[in-house]
Amino acid sequence: MENDYVFDLLHKAVDQGHKLGADFVEARYDDLTLTTINYTNEKVRESSTKQRRGIGVMTYVKGSPGYSFTPDITSEAIQETTKRSLGIAKATEPLLTFKHIYDDRSSIKDSIVKKVKIHPKEVEFDEKLDMLKRGIANAKDQVDAQSTTGMWGELWGDKLFVNSEQSEIYWTPLLFDLRIMAVAMTETSQARGSDGVGQSQGMEYFDIEAHSPETLGTNAGKWCKEQIDAVSAPPGKHRALVGPRMAGVLAHESFGHLSETDFVITGMSPISDRVGEQLGTEHATIIDEGITKEGGFFLPYDDQGTKTGKTVLMDKGMLLGYLHDRSTANKMNTEPTGNSRAITFMFPSIPRMKNTYFKPGNISFDEAVEQVGDGLYTAGTSGGQTDLDGTFLFKCSRGYLIENGEITKPIKDAALSGQILEFIQQISGVTNEMDIFTSYFGGCGKGGQYPLPVGLGGPSLVVDEVLVGGE
Amino acid sequence: MSLDDLRNKILNIADTTIKHSRDLNIPSTEVFVLEQSTTNLTDNKGKVDSRDGLVQGIGIRVAVGKKLGFASCTGFDEETIKSTLKQAHSIANVSPENPMFNGFVAETKMSKEGILDPDIPHLDADDLIEKCNIMNQEVDLSDRRIISGSFGANIAYQGFAIATTEGCLASSLQTTFGANSYFVVTDAGDRKTAQDFVAARKVESVEGIAPKALNKAISSLGSKAFGGSEVLPTIWEPRESAPFLAFAFFNVFSGSAYVEKSNPWKEKLNEKVAVKELTVIDDGQKPDTEACQSIDAEGTPKQTTAIIEDGVLKTFLFNKMYGDAAGFSTTGNAQRGGIFGGTPYENIPVVGPNQMMIKEVAKNLEEQISEIDKGILITGTPIGLFTANPVTGDFSVTCNDTFLIEKGEKVHPLKSISIAGNYFETLNNIRFIGNDTEQSGWPIDAPSMTFLNHTISD
Repeated sequence: MENDYVFDLLHKAVDQGHKLGADFVEARYDDLTLTTINYTNEKVRESSTKQRRGIGVMTYVKGSPGYSFTPDITSEAIQETTKRSLGIAKATEPLLTFKHIYDDRSSIKDSIVKKVKIHPKEVEFDEKLDMLKRGIANAKDQVDAQSTTGMWGELWGDKLFVNSEQSEIYWTPLLFDLRIMAVAMTETSQARGSDGVGQSQGMEYFDIEAHSPETLGTNAGKWCKEQIDAVSAPPGKHRALVGPRMAGVLAHESFGHLSETDFVITGMSPISDRVGEQLGTEHATIIDEGITKEGGFFLPYDDQGTKTGKTVLMDKGMLLGYLHDRSTANKMNTEPTGNSRAITFMFPSIPRMKNTYFKPGNISFDEAVEQVGDGLYTAGTSGGQTDLDGTFLFKCSRGYLIENGEITKPIKDAALSGQILEFIQQISGVTNEMDIFTSYFGGCGKGGQYPLPVGLGGPSLVVDEVLVGGE
Repeated sequence: MSLDDLRNKILNIADTTIKHSRDLNIPSTEVFVLEQSTTNLTDNKGKVDSRDGLVQGIGIRVAVGKKLGFASCTGFDEETIKSTLKQAHSIANVSPENPMFNGFVAETKMSKEGILDPDIPHLDADDLIEKCNIMNQEVDLSDRRIISGSFGANIAYQGFAIATTEGCLASSLQTTFGANSYFVVTDAGDRKTAQDFVAARKVESVEGIAPKALNKAISSLGSKAFGGSEVLPTIWEPRESAPFLAFAFFNVFSGSAYVEKSNPWKEKLNEKVAVKELTVIDDGQKPDTEACQSIDAEGTPKQTTAIIEDGVLKTFLFNKMYGDAAGFSTTGNAQRGGIFGGTPYENIPVVGPNQMMIKEVAKNLEEQISEIDKGILITGTPIGLFTANPVTGDFSVTCNDTFLIEKGEKVHPLKSISIAGNYFETLNNIRFIGNDTEQSGWPIDAPSMTFLNHTISD
């Protein structure tokens, strides 16, 4: 659809909201296309394309928010949607003690198109399938795999935003994700290896050898093979070198969610009212940023039309602030951080993360291994789970023993668990590398809005003590 | 809109889309049409969040011989639907053959629908506010130990229709109501959480939910460290044994994993896999559960399937494609969106459970506790269940909500502990299967259960 036509519809929703009694209105439009290819055991199990298009309207009456949405892009449907959002805002107003009040802000007119050399939409299905085939072939060169899976996902499209301040914002989300997995059976167990890349980039990203499907396939096969003879991780408390992938998951899942202001202002987060406290060691600096030079998800604006920037949550162990939307920032007398996000027009925006990562330090990877001395290196993770009190459990899908300052044997799946506020007190060194990635096949699942693309990553962290569950 | 109007609307869109497909000379098409009206409201200490709207969309699978393509779109705009049909067709044309595909569902056959509440389409945010107020007024939020108390309620009504070129034209409707209370409490540095909820196909009373959740949270305060590592029995409350078993069963019951050879029980059909007291049913026809529908997500009538009977594995769960590929029949277990949700019309059918039920045996929770000399009572869902190794069955999870049991009695709550073991061994180490099944909110409902030989440590 033409942007002018959509902007016009969104402005009409805002105008109608005001006529019906709203104090403030935000209207947004998504038109996203998602493409998935699943190539399992060298057969195409899924080849699909999905279109997500619709409009959402948030109205505020005396600080009370009401959200409604529709996939029907007609003037009549949008008028009805605005009326419904207003109805729910008015109905909930008597319950309210936390009022959504915004600071005055000037109108923003902006258009940001992510520039890439070769956009994924310009590349044919066959070529993407061929990338998966090449990756799988290389994986099979490395290991006698019982099963293999190659997955391709891409998301791109348009997002438009209008509000009562007459802001008009247009930007273009983009991400791809390519994954290669290999599974081999042993007599008693199963060995798995996987590698992949997810970025907001053009297809030229795969021209770099380290990101090519062949390299990803080789890594997946090699890491699967080394799992066949892997040793069990010794259970108990260990020193560890936590690689960028698991560091990123910890930054997002364990710490990042605690800093989201919907949890903070309701007192649910254990770091509520603790700004200015030294919570971690001097090596723990955690940042949430909209656009990073190292990669991840490209996010110039949030879904309240706030330009994203760089938010330092923790600096050298000291808690500096939280992740805000416009109303929580106003309530806490600070600036919004561009963290009000929704997965689609079907959901209201809520405080969510952007690209969350630990800041790199100044030691090399080899120095970090040496610093650990004896312990574990957790290079990959297959995910995990956290509780809002900061308890976490993450699965290390690729790891190694560190013995006498050297990486030695691969270890089988191990579970790392603990409490994030204790974990950040155990960080005694940070490497000077940096790796940030995003994901199509996973993402943030807060509030039932799964999977919202976010970025996460960082350097490797030297940790003096972490609990390992082993198998 | 009445429920009858909704059914007519989605059937008409599905049928019309098949006609468009014929006009476009597409050889074989399956259309999945979904419409859902939903309203949610949460009140967390006066911070109110709400959502209200209409989810509409179509998922289209096109087959050109054994070559398959899928495309989906939001809304019911006719031109967009035609364009989506063309897109699915063009993807099918360039896709390699899927040798397992054996055609879409070809006939219209339906089982019974679950409970439908005709009042739900006429409810709105005011009704949900009333439910939240009832929960709020039942507890005293001025208790200094309460950090946070939230009350939520939601209603939805939805329907989906399936039509295929081969002749299936069927639909299923659903009405749902839910309410929950969640508390975070703290005392002397100890912090605990608890929730209680109701999830039903019709509007139900919310009385008692909030006090039950709050009492549970407060009674867990004063926790002490377990101290060390020990192999002990674990006793699981009904709402906790359900998710624990769910992660044991998802992979080993999967017919797609059986066909793809990643199911560790692929050689275990008709063999003993658990104690003889264990019987597990997959029930797509229990009228008060969300899983009860007249058809599954590709048009097969839903059914009730015994998966484990008296400890013996009797079958796997299949959708049509994997059932055909395995030489079995579909068990009516096609789902779109997976077990953790997702927008159904955006997903191709996969295999997933309906509502699994553990057959009750004897002894309620208190009776089980009274027979344990030393053990751990699990009162909250552990974190990390999904990290269990699907092949070996090894698991290692962390749980914040447990009590130490000694000499048949609850001694005191425990600080966070880890629980490790092996699922396949656990199924053969069941000491008690209770008689007190509760609705869990998971695709499995179970009574309280006691398992032997779990390693507890902190």
